[in-house]
Amino acid sequence: MSFLAMPAWQAWLLVAAVGAFAAWLFFRKVRPPRIDVPSLLLWRRVFDQARAVTWWEKVRRAVSLVATVLVAILLALAVARPAPRVNATGRGRLLVVLDSSTSMSAKTSDGRTRWQHAVAMARRLMSSTSGGDVSLATTGEGLIEGPTSDTALLESALDRVTVVGGADVPWPRVTGTDAVHFITDGARERPLDASVVMHSVFEAAPNVAVTAMAVRPATSADGGGEAYLEVANYSTTPQSVRITLTRGTDSLFDQSVDMGAGEAARQVVPLAATGDARLRAHVSAKQDALEDDDDAVAWIASAQPLAVTVVTHQPAPLAGLLRHALGVTPTFVTPAAYQPVREGVVIFDRWLPAEAPSVPALCLAPPAAAWLGRVGAVEHTPRWSHAGTHDVLAGLDPMTVDVARAYAYDGDGITAIARSDQGTPLIAVVDRADRRLVIVTFGLSDSNLVFAAAFPVLVGNSLEWLGRPASGDPRGPGLVALPASTSKVTGPDNRTIALARAGNASYARLTAGGFYDVEAGGSHQTLAINPGTPETSNLTRTTLANAAAGPADNPPAGRPWWLYLAGVALVLVTIEWWTWQRRITV
Amino acid sequence: MSLRFEDDFLKKLEYLHVVSKRAFAGQNRADRLAPKRGRGLEFADHRQYAAGDDFRHIDWKAYQRLNRLLLRLFDEEQDLPIYLFIDASRSMAETAKFDQARRIAAALTYVGLAHLDRITILPFAATLGDETNPGRGKGRIFRVFEQLERLDSTGPTDLRQAFSSFASRGRQRGLAVVISDFLDPKGFEPGLKILAALGHDVFVVHVASASDRDPGVFGEARFVDAETGDVRDVDVTPALAAAYREAWQTHASELEHFCGRYNLGFVRADAEAPFEDIILQTFRKGRFLA
Repeated sequence: MSFLAMPAWQAWLLVAAVGAFAAWLFFRKVRPPRIDVPSLLLWRRVFDQARAVTWWEKVRRAVSLVATVLVAILLALAVARPAPRVNATGRGRLLVVLDSSTSMSAKTSDGRTRWQHAVAMARRLMSSTSGGDVSLATTGEGLIEGPTSDTALLESALDRVTVVGGADVPWPRVTGTDAVHFITDGARERPLDASVVMHSVFEAAPNVAVTAMAVRPATSADGGGEAYLEVANYSTTPQSVRITLTRGTDSLFDQSVDMGAGEAARQVVPLAATGDARLRAHVSAKQDALEDDDDAVAWIASAQPLAVTVVTHQPAPLAGLLRHALGVTPTFVTPAAYQPVREGVVIFDRWLPAEAPSVPALCLAPPAAAWLGRVGAVEHTPRWSHAGTHDVLAGLDPMTVDVARAYAYDGDGITAIARSDQGTPLIAVVDRADRRLVIVTFGLSDSNLVFAAAFPVLVGNSLEWLGRPASGDPRGPGLVALPASTSKVTGPDNRTIALARAGNASYARLTAGGFYDVEAGGSHQTLAINPGTPETSNLTRTTLANAAAGPADNPPAGRPWWLYLAGVALVLVTIEWWTWQRRITV
Repeated sequence: MSLRFEDDFLKKLEYLHVVSKRAFAGQNRADRLAPKRGRGLEFADHRQYAAGDDFRHIDWKAYQRLNRLLLRLFDEEQDLPIYLFIDASRSMAETAKFDQARRIAAALTYVGLAHLDRITILPFAATLGDETNPGRGKGRIFRVFEQLERLDSTGPTDLRQAFSSFASRGRQRGLAVVISDFLDPKGFEPGLKILAALGHDVFVVHVASASDRDPGVFGEARFVDAETGDVRDVDVTPALAAAYREAWQTHASELEHFCGRYNLGFVRADAEAPFEDIILQTFRKGRFLA
């Protein structure tokens, strides 16, 4: 909600008008209650008498007038919300950009974070525009508010924005902007126009961080892979750093390491083939200004192999392929024995159940079904000469595949990703929130696919795309692109993350480190988000040229003036009312 | 308002009589001593017989003893003219004050009637109103009650004009009782001086209410004069209220001192005070009733 947001001249006009109105009200005689008295004889005598006039009586009316006008002006100023001018930004449209990278959460020597200093600086910049339009943006989220002169909206936006980390979004462009102010700690170097006014909130601070963490996959079926951990001590003095690594509830590594100034330690820890898939690392040290990068996570994909149910009359070709595949647990059933599965991926070979599966499915030459669609025209010996760009077709050589017959399918949401030269779909996908399918329009017996090099590639890509909608590799915070079928993203604190859809993808802004669960078309995938990087965790350096002064030059803005103005007005009204009621001054 | 008194109170009133500092000649025989010698029963004095005197009054025993013809003289007992002036101006419109004034007038009338005095009730405001002569005898009191109940308060107060009008009527001297709040913009002195100058024995009954003494108003107020309609906006502060109370005290004191200086009887009757206490105690202490 906002009201009475106005430029300075309107605010001063309001103040003058309200003051004049208060004075007019003061001098205006309010009709008092009528009281009939037997005679005014004695009252006339009272007024005719020369009464002694006290000092208070002499000044009281003037004091009351001043108090009345002052109260009105104070209230008008409180509504107009004035603020002190701290920088000569002059009039005109102003763009204030705040650096929202992870390093802005670092604490400074006064106990406040760089981000809090930046917000205070932004408030002062906005208040110094004398009623001009202001736009507010961050490097992580782009334009947040404006252009507007409504200080309430801008204040609300400032209260709302937080450090989001991750990669920068494109630099905000606001038409008609007269001045651009960028408030940053300079942790990340950004090529900016020379006209951008830089404001530094940098203050060197010691920090320890997990700057890298990953799980290297096992090279054999009985191996669990290994965890790679990189810890850095970005401090000017050596210190002891405690490093812990846990898998689920099991501690894999717990050791204090003496690290020199600026030293980075790397640790490789072997992982067992079985166990919890959640791997967590934590570092702690005495001098540690940034907490966000003290934790890192990684997801051990091999610890939770993908369950694949194959429904076929002829399991041999797929059995030969899947039984030796890493990260896959196949199960073969005949169509007659098929029971709906609840997790993993199902492969239907030339057969479909009456009801759509609740998990993603790879359909090989499927018959017509109500939930899939109709089988259309057949093309004999279709020529497949161009591989598509879809993830399912990555690395696939179509020239090695000879197809005898391919069928066209017509159903809701079916999108062909590979076609014959005559246009008949050869590979199609369905990517919806309630259903994810890969449809191969030709059967294994109608082609040489089983014997072609493209077969393991196509099946592997399909299972990966169907079963793991997003890459599980650790990544930094920020905007993450997800499949269009993504229906829900749950954060580390079980909070649902808002999704934005654009084109063939969904986007989620993952700001905090930790595990995120992505749900798409019946499949689940876990994302690991780690904020620590060598670039943002090194709080002792900055790319700014003259940042030595630090944020101490920008004292906190404190509460807005209108609170004090309203308070003073209330006190004045109370004093005036009390003295009048008690007739102290008369 | 009903002016009817209880029988017990009426009996108490019958034991009282109006005290006049002076003796005035009446018109009818009654039980009040007249200034002249007459045909009363009480022996008063002797004087030398003169030709034409009634032989029946010659004191023959004194003639045997002194060999002189002396005539026996007796006190004359006549009625007392009592003029009851009741203020019927708008300033008396306050219910408690006007009712108190009418009750006092009714009680004094009954006392007078009980002693065969000649009562004349004269309401006044800016001028003298229609007078009422109830006649003689206690039984006439009910007619007085009715007339007082019909009395209405209207117009401004002008004691001088009213009593000048009374003087022009050439009345027999007697006891003049003025029941009023004496809030006369022109002052109460000229009017009372006229009554005193006419040779009447003047008795002042000052009726005052609590709102007269203290307006009881605080803050901004628009005062409207009940008699003249004049308006005055007043911010009644504690200091102003105190000044008003002081002005009223001065007004009451001036009235009392004026009465003392001109030998006029004075009694203050508060409108809120019990009526019987005023008649049986205040008036007796003021030596107006005995």
